Amino acid sequence: MNNLVYNEMLKIVRKKRLFVIAAIVAVLVALFTYAQFKQVKELQERLGTSDWRTQLQQQIIDAQNRLNSSSISEEWRKYLQIRLQQQQYYLEHDINPSAPGAPTFMRMFIENAIDLFLPLLVMVVAADLVSSEASGGTIKLLLTRPVKRGTILLSKYIALLLAISFILLTVALLSYLISGIVFGYHGWRLPLLTGFTINGEDLNTEGVHLLPQWKYVLIELGLAWYVAIVAGTLTFMLSVLMRSTAAVMGIMLAALISGAILSNMVSSWESAKYLFMVNLRLTDYISGTAPPIDGMTLGFSMTVLAVWGLLALAIAFIVFTKRDVY
Amino acid sequence: MRRGIVGIITIVSALAGILWLGGLAMAIQDQFFAAKAPPAGTAKYPKEEKTDNRGIYIVALGDSLTRGTGDESGKGYVGYMVDQLRQKTAKPIRVTNLAIKGQRSAGLLQQLGQAEIERQLKLADIIVMTIGGNDLFQGGEALKLAPKQIEQAKASYLRNLDRIFQTIRRINKDAVVFYIGLYNPFSDLGDAKQTSAIVRQWNFASAETAARYSNIIAVPTFDLFALHVNDYLYSDHFHPNKEGYKRIGERVASLITFTEGDEK
Repeated sequence: MNNLVYNEMLKIVRKKRLFVIAAIVAVLVALFTYAQFKQVKELQERLGTSDWRTQLQQQIIDAQNRLNSSSISEEWRKYLQIRLQQQQYYLEHDINPSAPGAPTFMRMFIENAIDLFLPLLVMVVAADLVSSEASGGTIKLLLTRPVKRGTILLSKYIALLLAISFILLTVALLSYLISGIVFGYHGWRLPLLTGFTINGEDLNTEGVHLLPQWKYVLIELGLAWYVAIVAGTLTFMLSVLMRSTAAVMGIMLAALISGAILSNMVSSWESAKYLFMVNLRLTDYISGTAPPIDGMTLGFSMTVLAVWGLLALAIAFIVFTKRDVY
Repeated sequence: MRRGIVGIITIVSALAGILWLGGLAMAIQDQFFAAKAPPAGTAKYPKEEKTDNRGIYIVALGDSLTRGTGDESGKGYVGYMVDQLRQKTAKPIRVTNLAIKGQRSAGLLQQLGQAEIERQLKLADIIVMTIGGNDLFQGGEALKLAPKQIEQAKASYLRNLDRIFQTIRRINKDAVVFYIGLYNPFSDLGDAKQTSAIVRQWNFASAETAARYSNIIAVPTFDLFALHVNDYLYSDHFHPNKEGYKRIGERVASLITFTEGDEK
């Protein structure tokens, strides 16, 4: 088994995908670091101060003004309302939710990457894991070895899990190291708030508690890993089902992008919450952002994702062990 | 060599995987099973005193007039006022605009109770404010209100205004407060006589309230809009346009003087 997994890792490394992914992440992080830096500068210039309390207060006032204009969509109003109450809570407790520093950047990067960027990176590795063997014909060589088919697929899956862990490590390290050049490497001990629950348009602060930022970031990375595994497993299933890597990528891409779009407009279609792609933003529950559909919670989203992931895994194994290869 | 790299990547990945699993476990532990320990209240909010005496800090409070609704450049009278002041003084001027569209006197009073607003006010050298427009006009509906209702609105507004001034003076006893009065946006309509009378009385009562406190100055705008009101109003016939805001800004700026050494 060890040898099989090693063999699969060798295949993944030899395709150089992991390095391409690292390069993509490095470029994007550099880009976002610069954008963030510009934004901080602009805000400082506009308000004439670098005092975060003044800046946060101004954001609150801006949001209140936006809420008072009549031409504002219901979803956006709710989002603003929740964020406003949260910012007010942060302010009242004298906690800066966006103190500059590499850990803060890292946290925001993960929160923004979890539903699209990260699954895309995972997809790059997972999409051709099985399908390329089928289309290239090497699957026959693989299956003639005196090992059960299930074991072969399992070794591939374990290699995928390892690759996902590696990708997440790349994202974490690069976002920390690169953004730190600009923002500094401090801020692991900063306190942050979590445990907000959302009831309709109101923010419930009953369960709120403090977390040091290092723990907060680690929690978010753990959730991002979970999401990446589910996305990877779904891609893996498609890769078993289809011979064409392009088709696998196309379907996953369509699903992920539709998720990003749907999240903005499904609040009235309640049963959409059972789709995996609107449940990807697990970190939103940690930070206390309004979910796309009322009543969605962290437990709910994790369960939905787990069911989709397990089903996909089961289908992949059944099809792979039963299928005729010729 | 190749074997070595792949081996290292595999081991690093496995270790990373364990770390992320730990993070996931922590997430579940924290979000589902953590003991609820809400952070302490607002008690330790910093109450710093004003230290920076080099610059001039202006805080703007109130409703859409202070926000600048209707001015396409978004400056509002606060922006034009600062433009004027920058010509008069070499000191750096910093502005924080805390005005909220549609705010009424009760809302402003509530806003003043927030810790951060209090801190901002404490640091202020000059406070400019507009309030009452929404109490009186209620979105342009004042014309239809019966005199009795207007009297009621006025009474509760004056009570709030008094407490607003009281709060500001308690927080910051030195800053000069410019309370900007109302104009009559309906002065070109048929019942102009009536509405103008109402606005004049409203302004008079507000100025009387302001006069009870030191350094609170009621700045009239009624006269600025008395003639050719439509030239100075935005297309909603309620808020000033760019020209209207410019006039208010210039008037407030003309009231602010600087000590000898600061003048340009």
